[in-house]
Amino acid sequence: MRAIRTTTKAVALASLLSFGSNSHAAECGSVSIADMNWASAEFAAYLDAFILEHGYGCDVEIVPGDTVPTTTSMIEKAQPDLAPELWLNSARDAIDRGKQEGKLLIAAAILKDGGEEGWWIPEYTAKQHPELKTVQDVLQRPDLFPHPEDKERGGFMTCPAGWGCEVNNGNLTRAFEIDKHGFDMIDPGSAAGLDGSIAKAFDRKQNWFGYYWAPTAVLGKYPMKKLDFDAPFDAENWRSCITKPDCPDPKRSSWTVSEVSTMVTGKFARSAPADVMDYLGKRSFENALLNGILAWMSDNQAPGADGAERFLQKHEDVWSSWVSKDAAAKIKKAL
Amino acid sequence: MASDNWWESFPQLTKQTLREIRIYIDSGYREFSREYGQLLEDFFDPLLQFLIWLEKLMINSPWPIVLAAILALAWAGSRSWRVVGGIAVSMLLIGTFGMWEDTMRTLSIITVCTLVSITLGLPIGILMARSDRMRNLITPVLDVMQTMPSFVYLIPVVMLLGIGKVPGVIAVVIYAIPPMIRLTDLGIRQVDKAVLEAAESFGCTGWQKLRHVQLPLALPSIFAGVNQTIMMSLAMVVIASMIGVKGLGQPVLKAITNQYFTMGLMNGLAIVALAIAFDRVSQSYGKRLQQDHA
Repeated sequence: MRAIRTTTKAVALASLLSFGSNSHAAECGSVSIADMNWASAEFAAYLDAFILEHGYGCDVEIVPGDTVPTTTSMIEKAQPDLAPELWLNSARDAIDRGKQEGKLLIAAAILKDGGEEGWWIPEYTAKQHPELKTVQDVLQRPDLFPHPEDKERGGFMTCPAGWGCEVNNGNLTRAFEIDKHGFDMIDPGSAAGLDGSIAKAFDRKQNWFGYYWAPTAVLGKYPMKKLDFDAPFDAENWRSCITKPDCPDPKRSSWTVSEVSTMVTGKFARSAPADVMDYLGKRSFENALLNGILAWMSDNQAPGADGAERFLQKHEDVWSSWVSKDAAAKIKKAL
Repeated sequence: MASDNWWESFPQLTKQTLREIRIYIDSGYREFSREYGQLLEDFFDPLLQFLIWLEKLMINSPWPIVLAAILALAWAGSRSWRVVGGIAVSMLLIGTFGMWEDTMRTLSIITVCTLVSITLGLPIGILMARSDRMRNLITPVLDVMQTMPSFVYLIPVVMLLGIGKVPGVIAVVIYAIPPMIRLTDLGIRQVDKAVLEAAESFGCTGWQKLRHVQLPLALPSIFAGVNQTIMMSLAMVVIASMIGVKGLGQPVLKAITNQYFTMGLMNGLAIVALAIAFDRVSQSYGKRLQQDHA
């Protein structure tokens, strides 16, 4: 109770929760869950779907989504109700605004360790060229990473156009002056293009240099080494420049630590039963665990639903602490 | 879980079997890509060099020269001041709104896609028209090409050739070539039997018949095919940008992911302007060709 008195945020959260508890007996009703187009978020969406449907009797609908459109839609239309895995940095401004206006609520940090974003090279490249440790080292060697359309220059695979990370990458590539080092950015166009370029490089043991993030099935399947930016992380520079589309003079920086959390709409937080919100506030796992599941999904070409089921079967010790005893029994029965 | 009752739920293969099938086919394809990917990449290298050359030519040349060349081509094709004037205005608007470079990229890739579609589609269409067996064989393939969702074949193409222009051209051609083939076939088959008999009675060889009778009479239909091919290539510009083809598709994609309404609309309108320009010029060129023969 002391926490409630000390921070206003906690008061807001607590009031939401207690408001919810009034409708404790009420039906959970319908819940729409955003299924983002990457594997860990898909897994999270189906995990929540299974638990909410079988443990709490919700009427679950899974809707496709993507960071920016889903955030916008959650703010403007309060739809979908729940985004299980959202990389907060990718839409920081919008989320902050939504939080202030009470339209969004951040629940559990689904990835306990946060996400790792950065610039990577394949592990076999790193082994072959042990001198490549930092971004600077790689930038000295455009000859190792030839641009597919211009053999004279190096290619840096950036984040697909329109993604939040496109802006960060654009500013960082300017800060590191990759063009002066003989590198050009390559826009892969889509997640499929980005993943395809990695798969192709690994199949033929070609060098690859670009942006990626963990935990992902791709990094589980294709081991890569994250390059050291060799620059201090400056929160001010990051917030006021690296994340802004037209920052005039970006400075070198390490990639910010990525907070990856569950986001719910204020509307849902107010109307959902308290035990549902309680679950969403507790559900969190370690990257190592998630990597294992993603690797299994990828090896077996299992969709998120299968991954979720497998997780529920194998890791009862993890998930039983998130849910009420009653829900846990119902989930076990449904498996 | 699924019930065991075969009457109530379809007796499908087990999840395990399905998974094994998928993994088997995937690893087979991966083997193929490992084995022949480089070979195919080398095979397509001249095409890539040509694409790069054309794009650089169109972007690096001073814009008034490029515009003049486009208008000259439009005049040569259409012989209509209205068409040329319309194209001039829309190109100037495109430039004013900062889309010149992207439009040039799109124009160059569409030109190449159209040329590839015509050079491949015309002979295939002729082949189809000459043999019913060929027609029965090719028609289902064309159906697949037109209806298969593009992303299904984009991924294997990317695995094989990487991202960029060549896979983009392949994806666009797969989608845009069927009307060229179908309408060539249709046009030749619709040539009046009496005319053919007349040609035969004059002692025409098969080649002469094709060259001087069937193809000229099929021209309106063939040009409708060219026209459709160009339209469909332009429609594929956005899809192609999903595998790293630069051009007008890229900002459209960006606009879709971020709900930049105006940005999407402006680039979309530029694509429409290109489509109308191509359409009017190729239509009137087709009509003139036919009149010359008549």
